[in-house]
Amino acid sequence: MKFFTWLKRRSGLDIRSVDYQYGQDPVLGFTAERKHADTWVNTTCGYCSVGCGMQLGVKSGRVVSVRGNPQHPVNLGKLCPKGLAEHYAIEAEGRAHYPLLRNNGIHQRVSWDQALDVMVQRFRAIQAKHGRDSVGVISTGQLVTEEFYTLGKLVQLGLGTSHYDGNTTLCMSTAVSGYKRSFGSDGPPGAYEDLERADVIFLIGANIADNHPILCTRLEANAGKTLVVVDPRVTKTAMMADLYLPVKPRSDLALLNAMLRTIIDEQLFDCAYVENHTVGFDDLRKSLEESDLAAAAQITGLEPELIAQCARLYANATAPFIAWTMGVNHSTKGTETVNAINNLALLTGKIGKAGASPFSITGQCNAMGTRETGFTSGLPGYRKFESATDRGEIAQLWNIEEERLPTSRGLAYPDIIEAAVAGNIRGLWILGTNPLVSFPNVDVLKHALGNLDFLVVQDGFHPTPTSELADLVLPAAIWGEKEGTYTNSERRVSKVNAAVEPPGEARSDFHIFLSLAEKLGCKDELFPEWSAPSHAFEEWKRVSAGRLCDYSGMTYDAIEQTGGIQWPFPAGCTEPPSSTRRLYGDGIFSTPDGRAQLIATQWTPFPEQPNADFPLILNTGRTVEHWHTRTKTGAISILQRMAPRAWLEMNPVDAQKLNLKSHDRVDVISPRGRVGGVELRVTEIVGPGQVFLPFHFVETNANQLTQSAFDPISREPNFKQCAVRVEKQTNSTD
Amino acid sequence: MELPLLTRADQPGSFVTLSAPDSASAGDTTFCGANVGRAPLRTPDAGEQYRFHFDMTKCIGCKCCVVACNEQNGNPSDIFWRRVGEVEGGVYPHTQRHYLSIGCNHCLEPTCMTGCPVDAYSKDGLTGIVRHSADACIGCQYCTWNCSYGVPQFNAERGVVGKCDMCYGRLENGQHPACVVACPEDAIQIEIVRVEDWQREYREHANSPGMPSADDSISTTRITLPRSLPENLGRVDLGHLQPESPHWPLVFMTVLTQLSVGVFAAVLSMQAFTARANRFAGLVALVIAFSALSASTLHLGRPLYAARALKMWRRSWLSREVLLFTLFAGAATLYALCLWMGISFAIVAGALTVVCGLAGVGASARLYLAPGRPAWNSPLTVFEFFATTSLFGAAGFALLANTDNAIWLVSTCTLFCVLVPCVKFLRFARSSSHQLYGTWQLLSTTLSNRLILRFALLIAGLWAFGVGSAIPARVVALLLFLAAEFLGRYLFFVSVVPTNIASGFLMPEAG
Repeated sequence: MKFFTWLKRRSGLDIRSVDYQYGQDPVLGFTAERKHADTWVNTTCGYCSVGCGMQLGVKSGRVVSVRGNPQHPVNLGKLCPKGLAEHYAIEAEGRAHYPLLRNNGIHQRVSWDQALDVMVQRFRAIQAKHGRDSVGVISTGQLVTEEFYTLGKLVQLGLGTSHYDGNTTLCMSTAVSGYKRSFGSDGPPGAYEDLERADVIFLIGANIADNHPILCTRLEANAGKTLVVVDPRVTKTAMMADLYLPVKPRSDLALLNAMLRTIIDEQLFDCAYVENHTVGFDDLRKSLEESDLAAAAQITGLEPELIAQCARLYANATAPFIAWTMGVNHSTKGTETVNAINNLALLTGKIGKAGASPFSITGQCNAMGTRETGFTSGLPGYRKFESATDRGEIAQLWNIEEERLPTSRGLAYPDIIEAAVAGNIRGLWILGTNPLVSFPNVDVLKHALGNLDFLVVQDGFHPTPTSELADLVLPAAIWGEKEGTYTNSERRVSKVNAAVEPPGEARSDFHIFLSLAEKLGCKDELFPEWSAPSHAFEEWKRVSAGRLCDYSGMTYDAIEQTGGIQWPFPAGCTEPPSSTRRLYGDGIFSTPDGRAQLIATQWTPFPEQPNADFPLILNTGRTVEHWHTRTKTGAISILQRMAPRAWLEMNPVDAQKLNLKSHDRVDVISPRGRVGGVELRVTEIVGPGQVFLPFHFVETNANQLTQSAFDPISREPNFKQCAVRVEKQTNSTD
Repeated sequence: MELPLLTRADQPGSFVTLSAPDSASAGDTTFCGANVGRAPLRTPDAGEQYRFHFDMTKCIGCKCCVVACNEQNGNPSDIFWRRVGEVEGGVYPHTQRHYLSIGCNHCLEPTCMTGCPVDAYSKDGLTGIVRHSADACIGCQYCTWNCSYGVPQFNAERGVVGKCDMCYGRLENGQHPACVVACPEDAIQIEIVRVEDWQREYREHANSPGMPSADDSISTTRITLPRSLPENLGRVDLGHLQPESPHWPLVFMTVLTQLSVGVFAAVLSMQAFTARANRFAGLVALVIAFSALSASTLHLGRPLYAARALKMWRRSWLSREVLLFTLFAGAATLYALCLWMGISFAIVAGALTVVCGLAGVGASARLYLAPGRPAWNSPLTVFEFFATTSLFGAAGFALLANTDNAIWLVSTCTLFCVLVPCVKFLRFARSSSHQLYGTWQLLSTTLSNRLILRFALLIAGLWAFGVGSAIPARVVALLLFLAAEFLGRYLFFVSVVPTNIASGFLMPEAG
């Protein structure tokens, strides 16, 4: 039969017309029939934090197509290329199907019961021998909020370790720390609508055209804006700018401080606002004494007058909006830079008003959810470990003894890794993240994982570079296979729904947590009669009531109907759920006295300066076709086809010195490692002395080069600058 | 000969109802139109057609259109009916990087259509959309050479070509094309253009950095360029040089038809000048002719429908080639038969065979003068094909006549076979065209050994001729010439650098 099929095709008798039929579909319109679905399931995109509403088309138990939800307030039907191809992730090759236990070095299929028994027994044995805190947990920003809420309780109270953090520390912890220091709480104050309503928009270290393309739609809708883009690299976003500021790498803080200084010197700030709503003005002014325009010009490479003009542009704007992402966060000075941005908004009183806010654009689809509920760097509901009142509230809500709650946070992600290197963390549970690609200076991480007595990796995919090393692999359902909510960058809570069943024996993370709680004997205490994510949601609503991130007025139904509700949305709120909400518009902040803190900051050069051996500055980043470590997008052939491998951007001046040309294969070497065989792109996108490498590709892992330098406050790695040299490839990387 | 391109349908507006979204797409299932603030399109009036407008100042290079297009058409992930290319210029930090998103340009003079041997293409009378019928297509891929934008793409899974039809079916149902709907920056739109105006204005609005000249086919895509562009703005994919597909069936087909025609010419000359009719040579030439023609069908995605290629002989050089070689095969059969049976009518059949064969070689060469393949698109291709034919003819004659006097003829033809490519390469090496210079780069680097071998084989063949007048030496010589010409034709196919719209910096992996 096979031969006849082949013959029919090869002879041209059969041109597969059935597969290539078009037809009118009530939802998709006139499209290829193979994309037509029987039912459509509303959900929210599982990649980035823009939080686009989408619909999954299901036919015969398979997701056959995807489309942007035209009714969703965030994206009005638009999706980026990753979103448009997201349905392929569900059936991608490399999904994890069964629990696997390492036996004599080989992964062998075991039952869920056995897998969880082993996990509990091994973790308990380690804790019995080395203490409760000898087990660590590293989670993600990709689960649903209900799962984060459940996981937090499970880890801190059930498993009983406080060394719990998420990969959000690799991307957003700086914004969190910055907001907490300035405003007394985490929580981005603005809304996407501000992009349409601002008259001046600053994007600092934010390449939204590659990383949050659907936000560009909102920018595009604002015809009257002046867009200023601050980035050392001429990104796609820089091309959208009215004014592009090609700052030297990591000089953003110097630029911001010089702007602050100008605003103060020229009396452009809002005296009354500063007087009534802030503290710390004198300290701030004093700290800026050396931040004059000439010094800033030296540091940033910009003209002094241009910096002054930017300060005036910001201060004189009616509604200035400053957004940032990883260019700011991925830095040992990240938190301070966020504080300087907040200082600008506070000095001018341009915060929480239509169009005006200091706004961190988040990374992962639900990094916000873990920040709100997570129990990692704080107690759920933006409560503080250190506050007895906060602990008392939580103890009462959960009906537990207050003494069981930690009084300070456990180790942050990089410190958990350090502790594993030192032998203090002996058991580790990694969920939904792939540190073998995403953690800086990856050799240290490999060393840490090699030191462990027991490593559990829970992921939707296997093998990943990380799950390959696991002693136990737990197969999880992914986006499209489970229910819950995500919170996007603008604090909008959107619904995530299951369209299909997970493959093989994979289970939703929520159900894995409940089963594990049962094995740990804490299910009845922590999750009494819970069986569905809605049970977690209902409890979380009570826990969040009265907090900044108040969910108490929300219901799944209302979220579904509006496409998403921004918090705070307390019970009894008279506003329609769909209205735009901002924080701090009244000038009252989440500090004890309600005043925001102006924070003095100090620019310093980035830690690893180029030198004779390593003369170039390596910048790392992303491309629009791929998501993070490519676990999903690397398995989607259209995305892989459009961006098949990494490349290294280098200015022609440097290329000429090194006698290199485009498409040469080069090695990139830092004091920590070598990345072999990267395709060189000689380009004016980067300035002389700088090179750029996307980090998505494990084959040419940028984090082989990056350094173990972390923000002292947020513990976020300094991914964006390190010193490297580039050589023509010495041997092939087969 | 030209066919009327823009003939209006009999009843204007009878099937394209774009003035209102259809009922199915109203309300919360609307996929295009009102919900994205896009005005409904009206039906073009007489003398008008639809076109794409691409706004380079708005495009952020996100490639949403590429994915949306593939989803719309259910294409495999290695076929992009809409592609996004990149151009870059300026000096840091005054760098400019821009993107080009191009589907089909729905040209006023579509070269894909005029070359098509089976009439699979049509320019829609009402909308001006260039449509392609998969059912009619036989997968000859001639359109993929003729379109200078690289728009039609061969789908190996189906054995036919496919291309952007501006989402004809969507337009028909009052919906905007998938790329237009997907673009987050509103950089792609459908517009209506007066054909007469466009013929006057297209040079100004259809050309862009990263695009082949709009003169080839009068592209109708209007491109809005940024106000000031750096002088050095150019494609970032210029380093993508790699050998093209050798098209083995075509290598065999072209060389063997030329061999057959050459040998028949030799047989005829023998008959005419020496009155010796070599019936074995006739038979061999006939077998070669038939194997050549059979080989050619293997090039098709749908060999079963090869006969359809005769259809458009009034317009397509490919059809003419097929027609002339079919006549050649018929005449050759007759000639070989007459020779075999010793019928005196043979010489007339022989003359007919050679005339049809030479005309076939001419048509064969002419069809490679395709706008999308600059290295082929010159009269030198015709010289090249006839050089090969003459070499085989001369060598065949020398073999059959077994005379030393023919050496001057063989030498001249060998020289011809060396000179024509040399002239070509000299021209390419000095060319400012990326594609022509690229061909030279390929030949002088990756392919240089094969090129040297080709010339060496020619010279060896000539040397074998000079060695002696023994038949075996002449047979060896002929075989050496044959090998040289196979290699030469292989190089002809693989060294061509197609014109295309700009692509991205990274070349996709093969396969």
